[in-house]
Amino acid sequence: MIPSFVPFQTARRAIAASMTAITVTGNNIANANTENYTRQKVDLNSISSSDFTQQYTTGKEYPGQGVDVAGISQYRDTFLDSRYREQASTAARYSTFLGGLSETLSVIDEAMTDGLMTQFADFTRQLQTYSQSPTSSDIAMTVRTSAESVVAMMSAYSSQITKVREQAVNDLSKVVINKDFNTTVENIASLNKAIREQEISGESPNELYDQRNAAIDKLSSIANIRITTSPEKVGENRTISNLSIAVYDTSTGRELPIVDRASYNTLTAIQSSDTNPTISLRMNSSFGSNDGANVTEFFTGGSIKGYLDLINGDGIYADTSTASTNPNDANGTLYYLHTLDTLASNFANTFNKLNDNPPTTTPKDLFTAAGPATIPPTPITAKNIQVSDAWKKDATYITTTKTGTSGAAENLHRMIETMSEDSTFLADLPGNPGSTVFKGSFNEYMAAVVGELSLQVELNENFSDTANTVLATLSDSKEQISGISLDEEGVNLVVFQKAYQAASRYFTVLDEAMDTVINRMGRVGL
Amino acid sequence: MRITNKMMTRNYLSNLGSLSSNLNTLNTKVTTGRSFLKSSEDAASAIRGYNIRTQLSKNSMYQENISYAQSSLTNAESTLNQINGITQEASVKILSAMNSTKSLNERNIIATELQALRDELLSSLNSSSSDVYYFGGTNIDKEPFTVGADGKLSYNGAVLDAMTSGSEHLTDSRYLDIGLNLAFTTDALGNDVVDKSTVFSYSITGPSITGYGEETLADGTKIPKNLYDLLGQIVTELKKTDIEYNTEKVGKMYGVFKDSSLNVVNSMTVVGAKSSYLDFMTDRLETQELNLKELQTAVEGADPAETIVEFSSQELAYQAALQMGTKLLQPSIFDYMA
Repeated sequence: MIPSFVPFQTARRAIAASMTAITVTGNNIANANTENYTRQKVDLNSISSSDFTQQYTTGKEYPGQGVDVAGISQYRDTFLDSRYREQASTAARYSTFLGGLSETLSVIDEAMTDGLMTQFADFTRQLQTYSQSPTSSDIAMTVRTSAESVVAMMSAYSSQITKVREQAVNDLSKVVINKDFNTTVENIASLNKAIREQEISGESPNELYDQRNAAIDKLSSIANIRITTSPEKVGENRTISNLSIAVYDTSTGRELPIVDRASYNTLTAIQSSDTNPTISLRMNSSFGSNDGANVTEFFTGGSIKGYLDLINGDGIYADTSTASTNPNDANGTLYYLHTLDTLASNFANTFNKLNDNPPTTTPKDLFTAAGPATIPPTPITAKNIQVSDAWKKDATYITTTKTGTSGAAENLHRMIETMSEDSTFLADLPGNPGSTVFKGSFNEYMAAVVGELSLQVELNENFSDTANTVLATLSDSKEQISGISLDEEGVNLVVFQKAYQAASRYFTVLDEAMDTVINRMGRVGL
Repeated sequence: MRITNKMMTRNYLSNLGSLSSNLNTLNTKVTTGRSFLKSSEDAASAIRGYNIRTQLSKNSMYQENISYAQSSLTNAESTLNQINGITQEASVKILSAMNSTKSLNERNIIATELQALRDELLSSLNSSSSDVYYFGGTNIDKEPFTVGADGKLSYNGAVLDAMTSGSEHLTDSRYLDIGLNLAFTTDALGNDVVDKSTVFSYSITGPSITGYGEETLADGTKIPKNLYDLLGQIVTELKKTDIEYNTEKVGKMYGVFKDSSLNVVNSMTVVGAKSSYLDFMTDRLETQELNLKELQTAVEGADPAETIVEFSSQELAYQAALQMGTKLLQPSIFDYMA
């Protein structure tokens, strides 16, 4: 026979388990709208009496001894998590790069506003009017004013794109690195420590898991990370898992550890000291061997990569032969600044040569670089191009004719022809100074720049849309597994409530049985 | 498949967001009439659009140049008319003087009248308007025709009598770019010059009106061919006394004078031809402009009817989504549990 008070233990366990199940369901319902909450379930095991040997066996079967709450666990798929993080990194990279490119495009776009191409057309028109009456000093002044508008527009483009770049630099160093990256890794490291302590004592800290997963998700959109968990045996029956994170470059397979249990490394963004400074990332490590090293090349994903491409991207002007200067051949803001510089210097040189006709010892420059004259002369860029001082003083500084009669205007016609004929654009590419980068008129060059940037924006928009769609699908899949459905919780509530009622009823039955035995058995004749 | 409340709300919100952003874009397209607002929306059309704008701008510059040339030609034509009148009057007077019955006094009167006509001729040749001399070629700010101390006429410093047919003064003219593919070539001396077939010259050179060089007579004497010097010599001859006066010589000079007067008529014909050429070019450019504008609308403009229909259907979709959403998000099992 079964011992008398053993079924009471079964009843007690049943009530406790049902109560726990109801509490967990209640917890799920309460957290239905909490960000990053993973739904929890009670792990129930049935207790058997058959897995131990007794000194004196009776050969009889004992019934099971009730239910045991093994623990409260979460519904989570770690593989889905890693896919989601990879995708988040891609999506963040494209959306960051796209944001900067769109801003750059809005500086030079002429679809709805008048820009440099309109100014070039106006300059040509003033030259045509001047060719009608080349002795008129009024029209000479309008030509000069139009030229001033052209160079002012080039300068404005250059400084506005520089501002876009400076904003990106600011975002990268202050917001992403100092605030997001560094604080998140510190956060993850301290969560690692707290989780480890709890796991060692045998608990399952679900809320801390949720917090850590949220932090890792955030980190994955900042950089291309990879998670590794390694098991550690801490006692006879207990193994805990330790989490470490590294920045992982899939193309080269190289790793840069940033979190290992409770230790973490931080990043600093350093600006080089050139006129258009590039950004490099330096690691401050408390473990591992990379303290003080330049780790820029490891970051190939996430919003950090988006910012690096935007800030350092120099396209065909990047010097990829020397790794020490962080060359980046994406078409970022630096590339577009250099293409404008090429336009400005070729425009200035072409017109200066045309004006110095016939050639003299002191060239009759129409356009110069702003600032004091130096030997050798400062190269003309979009930022420093200006109408020359000599032209500013005298509007008729422009050479209308080579041969000398007042009404002849063949040099003006040369200038008019230059505005619409193909010119060869030269630029100093790394390792190849004075190479031809474009053949076409000035307007065609500018249209090509706007066209190139538009296509890039269009392409990145498509990449970004695709990445976001995939991310949404993965997010839905995660939600499918880990999310809370109120209907489901409602049904569970009813189910567990019924179980609780049944367990209580069972307890009442036992109680009555015991009561019969104690109070009513063997009372004969009372 | 397990669906949670969060999934439903998130999908609903993102779809609503994309519907309203489409609505916004279509609205802007309708109000601006453009099919794209940023070049990135349609990069190929944007680049074509920029090229069309450049061509339109060039087209309007050519039209401006043509109208300037037309007004210049009109001025030249009316002055040439004047000069023609002068030469015809002079012609009549010389004829009457050649009548051998005229006495010295009568010849003197005619000579004085011819002198006055000669001065009128000079001032007509030096006509200008707003400080631009018509017949000086590229010399527009100084009088092209000047009389030297020896009484001979010079054009831009070169004596007309001595001018030959290869002189650069005969080809020196002002020109404008009217859309004939302005280009430069190298001439025989290796200089970089304008290719004259790619520009339109709109000035008449002085020597082509007055005539230039000298005519050698059968007896070896040389007579100037240009109208001014010729008139001068006729006057001198008419003023001679009866004994020295030679009617035959005057007759021969009159012959040359009549030939040289034809230059004026020829110049007028040239001006007329140039003017109608410009009319023809204007027509062509105007047609081109219309075509370019049509092309521009096709590339950059939005068809308003199509866009409005699209806008209405998007609006409908948006409203339907809003209405459906409220029904989707409300009920759960808790509403039905006792």
